[in-house]
Amino acid sequence: MPKLSLILALLASVALSACATGVQSPVVRFDRQVNYGDAKAVELVTNEFGSSDLQMIAEKMVGSLLETGIFQGRPTVTISTVKNKTSEYIDTTNVMNSIQTALVKSGKVRFTRSINEMQAGVDELQRQNQSGLYKSKTTAKVGQMTAAKYSMEGELTSIVKQNSSTKDVFYKFTLKLFDVEEGTIEWQDEKEIRKTSKR
Amino acid sequence: MKLRNFLLPLVLAAMAGTAMAQSGVPTGTPAAVAAKIQLRGDANDIVIPEIRIVRRNDVMVVQADMKSTTDSNRTVFYRFRWLDSSGSQVGDGESWKQMTVLGHQILTVKSVALHSSAVDFRIEMNVETQ
Repeated sequence: MPKLSLILALLASVALSACATGVQSPVVRFDRQVNYGDAKAVELVTNEFGSSDLQMIAEKMVGSLLETGIFQGRPTVTISTVKNKTSEYIDTTNVMNSIQTALVKSGKVRFTRSINEMQAGVDELQRQNQSGLYKSKTTAKVGQMTAAKYSMEGELTSIVKQNSSTKDVFYKFTLKLFDVEEGTIEWQDEKEIRKTSKR
Repeated sequence: MKLRNFLLPLVLAAMAGTAMAQSGVPTGTPAAVAAKIQLRGDANDIVIPEIRIVRRNDVMVVQADMKSTTDSNRTVFYRFRWLDSSGSQVGDGESWKQMTVLGHQILTVKSVALHSSAVDFRIEMNVETQ
């Protein structure tokens, strides 16, 4: 009997405490150690390449491209190589994706499939034309792709210097726009970033 | 490459005198410039004497001078917010930038609207003492 009364008391206390806490937010968590932050905030966790660097590079390059007016007439552009010449592992595709997204949203340019994206396009064309599954009137025709007038090539380099108290990292992102037919550079710009930290 | 510059002769500093008594605005910033600034907290001796606005190749290009009126360095956090003709924000918004302004230094910040629908802007900023 004493055990039963103890269990009843515990259940009552749990029920009372539940009433006291009020409504709960629809989240799964045990405490407030994790929170959503501002994705556009300045990230200063370390001086390695970070989200703010990526965002600043993309904004500078897109702004520079739109300002020059090279995209008059909505030309076609493809993304070529993006070299990472730093000592860090950096997914440079991310930088180019951000640039491409902003340019597409601007409505000033059309992008064609890059080398990396081409295989998926070829596979879909073959599926439509060779599988025998589709009405011939609705299939995308082979040999009708639009070729890119311009090719975009980027390069990220860094210079790292450090002593016992300070670490200085200098990043330079260079972006070039080549005329594919003529092989000439029609536009080029750089973004320089310096990050210094105390050790 | 030929650049078509549709210069809007909006050198805002010329449009108004200095001295501000408006809240949330750096003291000493011209009234016309102050209308474009969204300051959080104290300006901590940073003033914006001039903003230059140009419409170039169908996109808005803005340059703003940030001037320190003290001997000490200041850390400025800022970003441009682009607005369309209805006052709605264009795009997702820029990333925040951090910039050190040395004592009595004037630095120019620049931004380009990423869509031709942007016709107005605000500069969000706050200033930290070092």
